[in-house]
Amino acid sequence: MESTRIERLLDAYFEGNTTLAEEAALRDYFTSDEVADHLAPYAAMFKGFVQAQQEVSTSEVTLPQSGVKMKRWWYSIAATFLVALTVGSFVFSNQGLSSEEEEALAALQQTREAMMMLSSNLNKGTENVAFLNEFAKGSSNIKHINQFTETKNRILK
Amino acid sequence: MTQKEFLTTVLPFKDKLYRLAKRLLVSSDEAEDAVQEIMLKLWKGKEKMGNYKNPEAFAMTMTKNYCLDRLKSKQAGNMKIVHSNFKNSDNIERQVEANDGVSLVFQIMETLPEQQRMILQLRDVEQYDFAEIAEMLDIKETAIRVALSRARKTVREQMIKKYNYGIN
Repeated sequence: MESTRIERLLDAYFEGNTTLAEEAALRDYFTSDEVADHLAPYAAMFKGFVQAQQEVSTSEVTLPQSGVKMKRWWYSIAATFLVALTVGSFVFSNQGLSSEEEEALAALQQTREAMMMLSSNLNKGTENVAFLNEFAKGSSNIKHINQFTETKNRILK
Repeated sequence: MTQKEFLTTVLPFKDKLYRLAKRLLVSSDEAEDAVQEIMLKLWKGKEKMGNYKNPEAFAMTMTKNYCLDRLKSKQAGNMKIVHSNFKNSDNIERQVEANDGVSLVFQIMETLPEQQRMILQLRDVEQYDFAEIAEMLDIKETAIRVALSRARKTVREQMIKKYNYGIN
């Protein structure tokens, strides 16, 4: 009785016309110990399917921390690079210019000293000019004296 | 979606992905690699995963596509030697793991065309209903029934041939 039902199910099975429940019944039958001899060749097939379903993946799933976190992490790396680059370029460019700058500073100092010398000499000059003015005043006074002598001479005549 | 939520969604069908990958790629190492790759892809697209009404079917489709691409690139490149090496080591492994003739089913399945192999795997091993398989493989249900019938008959023929040979 059982085997005729199974035979009918098998026919439908090979035509692709069994439901999941009917296929489960076939599996149950063929994995039991009461398989009719003439149906024995099918047992390995269904046992094989059952065994195939017991296979499992043994590797752990490894995921990156988090999509968002990873992005932020990259942003911070990029930002650090940018800052390092900017600071670095500043430091390096200062070092590069320093010798030229020193020269320029020395030149400036020299110029300033020369200017100072010039200006102090100029000041001396102006002082002298002031003396000259005094002299001119003196000479004008002398003129007055001359005037005075002239007048005195006239009176004495 | 946190990592924990993602894993609770994804881990229940991880082994199914692995078994489909192994059915197609044959090598268990390659199947593990495939699963890892699919998991990473799912994780990267996890925000979208909520939109899919059936993440499991979506993941199965991804696995199918990934494995078929792998097989294609293997055939295109000079990977065949490597592939047959894997096959050899696998066969040895299999002989050790099961000598009762059940392993014959696996060997016969390997000889089937990829589509029949996948359909047989999804139906007779994983017991998905036809609508789900249709969604995963993007094939009509009637075409699935036809391919399934062919695959089952091929396995039967080969099994009976080998079985009789074994007995005699």
